[in-house]
Amino acid sequence: MDIDALWLTLRLAASTTVILLLVALPLAWWIASGHSLGRAVVQAVVALPLVLPPTVLGFYLLVALGPLTWPGRLLMQVFGHPLAFSFAGLLVGSVIYSLPFAVQPLVAGFGAVDQGYVEAAAGLGASPVKVFLSVVLPMARTSLLAAAVLAFTHTVGEFGVVLMLGGNIPGRTRTLSISLYDLVQDGNYMAANRTAWVLVAFAMAALLVIYLLPSVRKMDGRQADVVR
Amino acid sequence: MVPLDVDFALTQPWTVLFGPSGSGKTTVLRAIAGFVRLEAGRIAREDLVMADSATGVFVPAHLRPVRSAAQAAWLFPHLTVMRNILYGCGRKSEGTDQVQAADEVMALFRLEQLSERLPRALSGGERQRVSVARAVVSAVTFQGPGKALLLLDEPFSGLDVTLRDELLANLRGWLVRWNIPVLSVTHDVGEAFQLGAEVIKIADGKVVDQGQVSDALAGERRLLMDQLSRGSFKI
Repeated sequence: MDIDALWLTLRLAASTTVILLLVALPLAWWIASGHSLGRAVVQAVVALPLVLPPTVLGFYLLVALGPLTWPGRLLMQVFGHPLAFSFAGLLVGSVIYSLPFAVQPLVAGFGAVDQGYVEAAAGLGASPVKVFLSVVLPMARTSLLAAAVLAFTHTVGEFGVVLMLGGNIPGRTRTLSISLYDLVQDGNYMAANRTAWVLVAFAMAALLVIYLLPSVRKMDGRQADVVR
Repeated sequence: MVPLDVDFALTQPWTVLFGPSGSGKTTVLRAIAGFVRLEAGRIAREDLVMADSATGVFVPAHLRPVRSAAQAAWLFPHLTVMRNILYGCGRKSEGTDQVQAADEVMALFRLEQLSERLPRALSGGERQRVSVARAVVSAVTFQGPGKALLLLDEPFSGLDVTLRDELLANLRGWLVRWNIPVLSVTHDVGEAFQLGAEVIKIADGKVVDQGQVSDALAGERRLLMDQLSRGSFKI
């Protein structure tokens, strides 16, 4: 198995998850805290990667990050090289591609926090930022964990965007899923099998974490009983 | 919904909004707290205009010199009773003051034994007491020019009468000592008399009477006395 590809995949997934949470937390809170046309449009745009073929996203990112557009030219000046076919380019693609997987659980989690708690906190003088950090976020902590696990796992599993945007440069843009594709092209089924197993085990472990999450709440309940 | 059209000023340390369910008492409190906007009108506390539809002024709830407890307890489920009670403490006052105030209020509401419990391990009446105590601590530690107005929506509706009367008497004395003005909501004649407060009587979205409880609720009192003497209460 390609250890470089494994390492690159983990690095990409970890960086993507961190950036995604920073973007998704305020975005999801804004979406969850009201109803308006603007919110519906933003939510639809965020959900697009769920239904679009990844190649569509990869294609437009390839064009947007390249020398054909002004944002692409600006980025080339900032980074000194085109973002496509680089780790930074993959990172941008992964963040957009996995955005719905971070935003949707958070919107659901924030939406489940009753407005009564928010008003109670505001009625005690808490600013909106304090209400979010000290009441809403702790109450939605299982959703936060689910968002992080899903974003990480989904990034590990992406293929189409990476292929379109990153190509297949060893150590720079060759992730595990691309490496698997290569191995199969070469007819090296033994190595392909090992790589595939790593991806299966990974996905299974992450999904297990998600489905075990409700027990986190039960644990809190037991602690309360001990105190009683 | 009944259109709400009220006009009153608070002049006494404790004022009670009295009226039947659905008469708009809670909406009045929510407007003062800053949770609903007025279609037309003005809300001011001393010199500070908190809402004025004519000028478009609307001070957000957390910046108003107002502290409130809703009818439901809304205790933060991930915080212990003590942490809930300290949640709304003014930031600038240093730790010892806060803990001192919190301890006094905990004793006042008979909550000392519960301080390390999580809300889910409390009974309904205990939750309600914590909720009111939390607003009281927040009002007492309020940092700012002047005092915070304390808004309490049916603060003792779920408690048995003996405990309620004791809590009311203690709380009233304590808040007078701290000079904290209160506007509370009730539909309980006994509670209004027990407080000996100024009463604003609301019916169908309008103020129908304002004055000392013995005058404003004289009719209600007579009705209650008649019912009691005729023994028409079936137990």
